[in-house]
Amino acid sequence: MKKINNLIKLVLFCGVVLLSSCETTNVDITKNPNALTPDQANPDFFLNSVQVNFAFFVEGFGRTGSQMTRIDYMSGRDYTNAFSPTSFDGRWSSAYRGMLLDLKTMNSLAEESGLTHHIAMGQVMQSYILMTLVDFFGDIPYTEALLGGENLNPASDSGESVYAAAITLLDSAIANFNDTALADPELDFFYDGDWDKWIKAANTLKMKAYMATRLVDGSAIASFNSIVTSGNYIASTADDFQFNWGKNVLQPDTRHPAYSASYTTTGGGRYMSNSLMDYMAGTDPDAYSSPSRFDIRTLFYFYRQVSQTPGIGGEPADEEVLECGLINPPPHYAGYTYCGVPKGWWGRDHGNDNGIPPDGFLRTLNGVYPAGGTLDDLSYDPQVNGDGNGGAGITPIMLASWTKFMIAETLMVAGDAPTAKTTMFEGINMSIDKVINFSPKTDRYNSIFGTADGGPALALESDYIDWFNADLSAEWDAGSTSDKWDILSMQYFVAMFGNGTDAYNFYRRTGYPTTLQPNIEPTPGGFIRSFFYPANYTNTNSNATQKSGVDIQVFWDTNPASPGFPVAN
Amino acid sequence: MKTKFSGILTLLLAFVVQFTFAQEKTISGTISDESGMPLPGVNIVVKGTANGTQSDFDGNYSITANVGNVLVFSYVGLKTIEQTVGAANTINVTMQEDAAVLDEVVVTAQGIKREKQALGYAVSEVASESLEQRSEGDIARVLSGKASGVRIQQQSGVSGSGTSVIIRGFNSFSGSNQPLFIVNGVPFASDTNAQGNFVNGNNGSSRFLDLDPNTIENVQVLKGLAAATLYGTDGRNGVILITTKAGSSGQTGAKKTEITVSSSLFLNEIASIPDYQNEYGGGFDQAFGWFFSNWGPAFKKEGPGGWGNSSAFDANGTLPHPYSTASSATGIPQAFPEYAGARYEWRPYDGVKDFFRTGVVKNTNVNVQSASDDGKMSYNVSYGNLEDQGFTPGNTLRRSTFGLGGRAELTNNFTASATLNYSRTDFTSPPVAASYGSNVSGTNASVYGNLFYTPRSVDLMGLPYQNPVTGESVYYRQNNSIQHPLWTVNNAGNSQLTNRVYGNLQLTYKINENLNLMYQLGIDVYSENNVNYANKGGKTGSQANRDGRYQTWNNLSTLNDHNINLTGNYDINDDFYVSFAVGATSKRTVYDRNGVTSTGQQVFNVLRHFNFAEQNEIQFFNERNLLGIYGQAEVGFQKALYLTLSGRKDWVSNLAPDNRSIFYPSASLSFVPSKVIDALAESEAVNYLKLRAGYGTSANFPTGYPISSTLILNTQTFQDGEGVDVVSNTTGAQLGNLNLKPERIDELEFGVEGRFFKNRVTLDASIYSRKTKDLIIDRPLDPSTGYTTTQTNIGEIQNDGIEIDLGIDVFKSDANGFNWNASFNWSTSEAIVNDLGLDTDIVVYEGFTNLGNAAIVGKSLGTMVGTAIARDDNGNFRVNAAGSYVTENGLNVIGDANPDFVMNWVNSFSYKNFNLGFLANWTEGGDLFSYGIATPLGRGVVTQKGIDRQNSFILPGVNPAGQPNTTQINNSTYYFSNVLYGPDEMLVYDATVFRLQELSLGYDFPAKVLEKTPFGSINVTFSAYNLWYYAPNIPSVTNFDPNVAGLGVGNGRGFEFLNGPSSKRYGLSIKASF
Repeated sequence: MKKINNLIKLVLFCGVVLLSSCETTNVDITKNPNALTPDQANPDFFLNSVQVNFAFFVEGFGRTGSQMTRIDYMSGRDYTNAFSPTSFDGRWSSAYRGMLLDLKTMNSLAEESGLTHHIAMGQVMQSYILMTLVDFFGDIPYTEALLGGENLNPASDSGESVYAAAITLLDSAIANFNDTALADPELDFFYDGDWDKWIKAANTLKMKAYMATRLVDGSAIASFNSIVTSGNYIASTADDFQFNWGKNVLQPDTRHPAYSASYTTTGGGRYMSNSLMDYMAGTDPDAYSSPSRFDIRTLFYFYRQVSQTPGIGGEPADEEVLECGLINPPPHYAGYTYCGVPKGWWGRDHGNDNGIPPDGFLRTLNGVYPAGGTLDDLSYDPQVNGDGNGGAGITPIMLASWTKFMIAETLMVAGDAPTAKTTMFEGINMSIDKVINFSPKTDRYNSIFGTADGGPALALESDYIDWFNADLSAEWDAGSTSDKWDILSMQYFVAMFGNGTDAYNFYRRTGYPTTLQPNIEPTPGGFIRSFFYPANYTNTNSNATQKSGVDIQVFWDTNPASPGFPVAN
Repeated sequence: MKTKFSGILTLLLAFVVQFTFAQEKTISGTISDESGMPLPGVNIVVKGTANGTQSDFDGNYSITANVGNVLVFSYVGLKTIEQTVGAANTINVTMQEDAAVLDEVVVTAQGIKREKQALGYAVSEVASESLEQRSEGDIARVLSGKASGVRIQQQSGVSGSGTSVIIRGFNSFSGSNQPLFIVNGVPFASDTNAQGNFVNGNNGSSRFLDLDPNTIENVQVLKGLAAATLYGTDGRNGVILITTKAGSSGQTGAKKTEITVSSSLFLNEIASIPDYQNEYGGGFDQAFGWFFSNWGPAFKKEGPGGWGNSSAFDANGTLPHPYSTASSATGIPQAFPEYAGARYEWRPYDGVKDFFRTGVVKNTNVNVQSASDDGKMSYNVSYGNLEDQGFTPGNTLRRSTFGLGGRAELTNNFTASATLNYSRTDFTSPPVAASYGSNVSGTNASVYGNLFYTPRSVDLMGLPYQNPVTGESVYYRQNNSIQHPLWTVNNAGNSQLTNRVYGNLQLTYKINENLNLMYQLGIDVYSENNVNYANKGGKTGSQANRDGRYQTWNNLSTLNDHNINLTGNYDINDDFYVSFAVGATSKRTVYDRNGVTSTGQQVFNVLRHFNFAEQNEIQFFNERNLLGIYGQAEVGFQKALYLTLSGRKDWVSNLAPDNRSIFYPSASLSFVPSKVIDALAESEAVNYLKLRAGYGTSANFPTGYPISSTLILNTQTFQDGEGVDVVSNTTGAQLGNLNLKPERIDELEFGVEGRFFKNRVTLDASIYSRKTKDLIIDRPLDPSTGYTTTQTNIGEIQNDGIEIDLGIDVFKSDANGFNWNASFNWSTSEAIVNDLGLDTDIVVYEGFTNLGNAAIVGKSLGTMVGTAIARDDNGNFRVNAAGSYVTENGLNVIGDANPDFVMNWVNSFSYKNFNLGFLANWTEGGDLFSYGIATPLGRGVVTQKGIDRQNSFILPGVNPAGQPNTTQINNSTYYFSNVLYGPDEMLVYDATVFRLQELSLGYDFPAKVLEKTPFGSINVTFSAYNLWYYAPNIPSVTNFDPNVAGLGVGNGRGFEFLNGPSSKRYGLSIKASF
């Protein structure tokens, strides 16, 4: 009996312990407390996320496009290996996992609530994302994408069909902007709720799409021109489609990515392109002191930390920081700038992959436009984080000046060089005007290029612009049709400083300019006609196959194969 | 030290409850084994009476008896001896091993005690002698090499760094492969909570570091699934069963109160420092410059490589001091006016060697144990203190442990026992993060990231490292873009302070002679206080890191385990017996992380959150409940044939109801032919032979919340035009998978155990084959699906292996003679991916997406992928026009981290009072991708034997035209652009290594010397750890020790990113008992 009692005691004891901790026996804990659940989503919050990610997306591909077209410097002597597949993983993920899925999810909420302007903004961004992915990669998943567990291996759609879908999205966006929304988005980073401007942006992106596909679509130029005729597109700088960056350093870092990469406590992190600096500084090595096609935007695009480039333009060389100043240019560089541009425009040549010397406070940095850096007022001070505009720059997405260049391109195609010239100069001067008025100028700048403090010390800003226009105009008039194409394209590229996506498209579409600095490697392989697919696409999707090389042409590129085209490569 | 010691002694004396003095005349004596070692725990019974006792810790006993009585001495595994009491009052007995019986009892899963010969699976045991007085305070590292099939890998030689334990190879590439730790019968959390990932820094200890090896009585390793089925899912990777001295109280039945004190002092040094050259200094392409690299001019003036060719030097071969010529934007010339115009001597400096220190490791342990006269009440108290100074400045590990255990057999058939342990482990280290041999790659700093390739001409230890005005880091590079390693040591660091309480409570009720009911509660709670900080003024990592960052967070981990079971034992007849166990268990784990990240330091070197501009939350919570029921039945026939059947069913809380539970059985058979085959029983050659076979299964459940999709909210995504923070949400990266189910692991194991030639040769061999099906993996998804990862069940992995333990008594003589025992353990295992599911043939599961470990169908798990040297159709290397290798992008197989085999050779010699032991290890094969090897080569701080720097190289291969390459490249292009920064394949080395892992020489003071002292025994031991290693296929100038795990404790293997060198330790310890 005693045994039984003890047994009962034991069972009771155990039972008490087990029951008192019934949280121990709960086997239904499946909700993740570390995040919200999808049903707690807010359409405004989605749209905020997409807008910010969109800015990074445009900036990222814009930089890659610039690197290909020597607007920016590219490291890589071998085009096949210059960009590894993984270098696009982040953007691929941001596009699909981030923006496109967020928009899809937002749209279903927005449709229920009549938030047509949310939807419309999303459609404009989505169309740009899709076109850019096609421009860089070719065929991409679209109709089978974003299905989650229903399709873990989305097959790709032809680039052509994705472009068509993008144009449809833009038409739908215009309709939605014209619709009355039950509520407007909480935040519009681009136009602050001005829907007329959004409609212009949507139409201009349609122009961009028609322009891109003009080699494969016989009606593209007519479609393009019908928008031009309507006048309902970005024709004025006030309508520019652009993202504004801020100055906040941490939590969140709102600075322009080019600024945060270049304005650091240890100096510059990126090199500027010798090719572009050389072109913009003009044909006279003394640049602004005896200007010859000197472009005043040079002082806004680039910030020089030193006044001379060692080993260049007769300066003594310095083996410690610019070793190539001691070396003769390779034979295939005859006629091109090499190693650096005189007077402190210290960048790198296309393809140079040398190690990094301690030149962080010597090399040229991004300037005030569009990165929000420092205006080059000839003071040559080394720059650190916080200097200049603190990163409050912009990423241009579609500018009025660019539409002028697009129109000029159609005119050149139509054989109307004189009107093309007029239109090009409208674009150039829109761009100059935008750039030089981008932010307040320093007193020093005004005393050198303005009338302040008894200036100008050199000549008036407006004089430089006039001289530049005159020099360029004479160059145009003297040149052959091919020379005119070169001028048009170089000036288009200059205006696109800050986003080279359209430059890369233009270069593949027209083959111009023919004068770009070649790769420092004499045999770099064929030019990149489209990039390797991102590794996180081909490595995880059984319906995706990596390309055999970077010479695969996107659907709208019917030009001759690489190498041989474009001429400068 | 002395006062501290006596203080402890006084304290401990207070625990002494009672001394027993024999009142009557007794017979006493000492019982020893064949080697002369005292035997505690021998049962002595006066035949025919209930009068009995046990020998104490020193083998002494005393018992009252009359002349003519017969004393029966018995001990498990030894031959029983009968002695008749005569006139003498002393009877000393030497007991002999009884190979024929060997009814050794071992503790198996869920605390069930079974005869070892009945087991149908392998169990390895490591006793306290192999664990005590070691220079490493980490129990896993101490276990290294001591049990076959158990692979221990340290993260690095940093004191307190994590340790990976893998039993029988890898079975999964997404789930944990770390074994279950059971301490005193209850689960013990052994997580490694790294402070981040391997890129940004993953300092953090493995929580079994909270165990003091000196307080451990023994360790048993259950390797196979047949052994571990009853432990359920957590036992799928094997089980490390640890019994602490506190937990073993009452089991030896010691009567006398005994106090054991040990104290050790070891020195801790860096083991793997490159053999630096002293001919050339910093620069590139033989030109001088303040570069990261050491490809500059020679330290002599003359010759084509001499400094005389460079305009940077003056006639005396001096340079302008780097602090006088640094850019004014660095603030260095302004802060150091004393260097204006100063000259800097061009000569080699031995900075890296001087950077490291000799750490001192102090260890003190006290153990008190006692029992009541009748042995029914006993207790044990232990205290341990470890102070382990790392060889890297700023790295220390301090640990204090207290343990208390007791056991009481009550008169009402209840037995109660409990243990309670407290530990306090304090780990501090400078930041350690991945580096590619050029600064760090992540957001934090790393003390090693800028150290090992310091150009020889840079006076690392002599150049000031801190700006006296701003406090920021200063160094030789002209734009100040390298963070001075000394600044890192003094201004950045990680710490992890862990307070932990764990223990168990066990209540057993003996229902009758055959049935026992047991309830056991296990608790394990630890609070891990983490700090990660960097003062402002750093030069590496993210902007946040450079502006000063301070992160503090607490990880509170709670583990509650309930277990109730009924065990029974019935002899059916003389031939048959049956035993069984049925039970139920619940295990709840909760992990709760809370903390704050602050950025933007205001006042330099003030590390409080108020001193920072911005704060951000750190919060993470995870809970999971697991319920299980289990049962086991064993049938034995004639003590020669045993059959065991067992099974378990588990329910887990984080899966959908339909997939929540799984049942998995096991069966094992043991046959002892030496008991039934007369020829064997009578054989001199075969003393004991056992054959075994086991079939075991287990399951694996996912962690986290894999079935739910999430939405991420960020309150600081960006700012609007007015500077107001913008809130955003975005869909979570993980696709919830409602269909996720547990994975099932099946294993077949065969083994043989035997003793041969008068027990001088012992053998224990196992062969196993294990299959994991429906693997739960974190499958990376194409982001175009809308998600980047999902947990899913796919594929099959087959893991086959062999383990052999062979022991030989090479010399065997009496107690004081020369004895030499050599034992070998050899193991190999290879896990092959049989299938990855229908729609994918490669999953990169660790490392970077383009450089890491991948599961590829048909390949070994542990395969490494990355970029390779491009080959033409004939397999020739492709060389570009510049003369360097062409890179093949994508996921090419570049190595296999899995070693071919691992062999350990344990030797113990004894002669009189001396004993000598060493443990040597041979790890054959296994590849290692290493920046630690490539960086000194690529940066030119070492020169490989037979290489003249001024000669050129022509890489073997074909040029772009398809012809044999003839393009010459110089030394720096070869090493820098190909060896270091060429295709990933170039950084892969064979990690074969021979190692003298442990060496010890001990001396026991003779009993005669101790007679007039209060001491029962005194032992002095010199011991050393990792004194020597040799890696034949790693360039010897780099002196690299491949025993590192750059990816941390996880499933990644074979990668190293300058994550920290290994250590060697040596010193003395004294152990005394009284």
